[in-house]
Amino acid sequence: MPPDTDPAFVDGATVEVADASVWFGQKVALSELSCSFGPGVTGLLGPNGAGKSTLMRAMTGLIGVNAGRVRVDGRDPRTDRAVQGRIALVPEDEAVPAQLTARELVRYVADLHGVRDPDAVDRALDLVDMQAAADRRLKGFSKGMRQRSKVAAALVTDPPVLVLDEPLNGADPIQRANLTGLFRRLGAEGRTVIVSSHVLSEVERLADRVLVLIHGRLAAAGNHRAIRDAMDDRPRHVLIRADDPRRLAAALLGLDTVAGASLTDAGLVVTTDRARDLAVAVAPVARDLGVRLREVRPLDDSLESLFRELTR
Amino acid sequence: MSQGSTAARSPLAAIVHYTLRACMPAQRWLLLLPVAGAVVFGLLSRLSDEATVVAFARVGGTAMHTLILPITCLIIGDALLGAEIRSGVFAFTWLSPVRYEKIAAGRWLGGCIIAGAVLAPAAAAAAVVAGAPSSAGPAAIAAVAGAGAYLALFVAIGAMFKRPVVWSLVLVILLERLLGAALTGIAQLSPGWLAQATLVGLTGAEEELAREGVPRGWAAVGRLALVALVGLAIASRRLRSLKPASSAD
Repeated sequence: MPPDTDPAFVDGATVEVADASVWFGQKVALSELSCSFGPGVTGLLGPNGAGKSTLMRAMTGLIGVNAGRVRVDGRDPRTDRAVQGRIALVPEDEAVPAQLTARELVRYVADLHGVRDPDAVDRALDLVDMQAAADRRLKGFSKGMRQRSKVAAALVTDPPVLVLDEPLNGADPIQRANLTGLFRRLGAEGRTVIVSSHVLSEVERLADRVLVLIHGRLAAAGNHRAIRDAMDDRPRHVLIRADDPRRLAAALLGLDTVAGASLTDAGLVVTTDRARDLAVAVAPVARDLGVRLREVRPLDDSLESLFRELTR
Repeated sequence: MSQGSTAARSPLAAIVHYTLRACMPAQRWLLLLPVAGAVVFGLLSRLSDEATVVAFARVGGTAMHTLILPITCLIIGDALLGAEIRSGVFAFTWLSPVRYEKIAAGRWLGGCIIAGAVLAPAAAAAAVVAGAPSSAGPAAIAAVAGAGAYLALFVAIGAMFKRPVVWSLVLVILLERLLGAALTGIAQLSPGWLAQATLVGLTGAEEELAREGVPRGWAAVGRLALVALVGLAIASRRLRSLKPASSAD
């Protein structure tokens, strides 16, 4: 087993992934991935196509791995149906049985899992604040409401392991806050909660531990502070449009956060390895010079570019 | 709390109920089309000079078992599993500790209830309008038994192929109709031919319409049950290795 100090692994793991590879024809979705998940909330971070959903589908047995192994409580989720009683997935895709109401969907999942508690369905709907809309058909729901209905269907079985694929997609700010609080509570109760996202700030709010996936490989692991620092400490380019970019460039070059500056047709492009500090400094400098700022925009701040940097 | 909670069901009952609620399209009036078609062919039977029972078996029965029964079952059968697998919705059912055999049986039972509710009245009505009311019962039995076998095969095809409708049409048109018409060995296992043999055997129209080598009457019903069992066994086995799609796939 890997050393105790490797942040990709946890003690007392409920979900273990060992050298797992998954490919679809020529496309490699997961490549010799090894990591583990235990009680608490773990964030799976990565750009679209990084392999997050594939990993989650492998964990829940929806697909098998082509090489390596995945275990949930020591069992193979692909072949051992008993695992399905211990794990629940909230898939990212919007597919739902459109003819059913939210309550019927949750009831159906509860029945399949042999849930006998007559209040379980209502409790699950209450947890995601869906009671008011519970008797409406899913086909009329927004994406956020569908997601919440799926979360309720997952929670009704009271699973020790909860796998949530981009669960906040489509949720409004209030529901995001509610769901974030709910997932954190579930993690604090001792459940293994695995949440995927391609938004770092979202994962920061949700999870203490983060695994970063890129191109099906583990690019980084640790707490979100370590991931954020790794992302912040790399050179970035920031486009600044101002009414006197030449004067502003001269002033900014005096800052120790600025590594370089160049004037382009689009505006002033500043290179910095401390983007946050630059963001704080640029407005006061411009004000002191009497230069009017029109736009300050990171040129390569997409998560994809940050992730690319991490893998260099 | 407890607004509209219902009593917990067994997994099998839940799957059957789900099938009835979720798998059928919203435009359920479309299911009346087979009834209308059967009645039309029942009326056409009156144009024959043969005895009404024989005329109904030859015209109405043949239309029922070569056209209305397979097409209706194909539409229902695809909705039972294939369409759900394609859309990604089947994951809700697959991700449960319920045994695959139970899932296949539940979906099939739900489909049989829908098909039975549509086809049995359609077949009986066709017999009545054909002037052969004594054939109504046998026609309904043949339709239900044939539907059971067809649906099991279509559920199996839904679990096996990415384009189940195409393969289902291959089964019905190429295998049953073209090859089954020439080869008795195929007709002996064909839901369409066996359903027709059921009607022929139970109505006493055997002298004129019986096909050599194909069981008739209740023996054909038994054979249809066997075909259904084999179909369900294949479906259960295929569900084991299924990789339920996501809608993004």
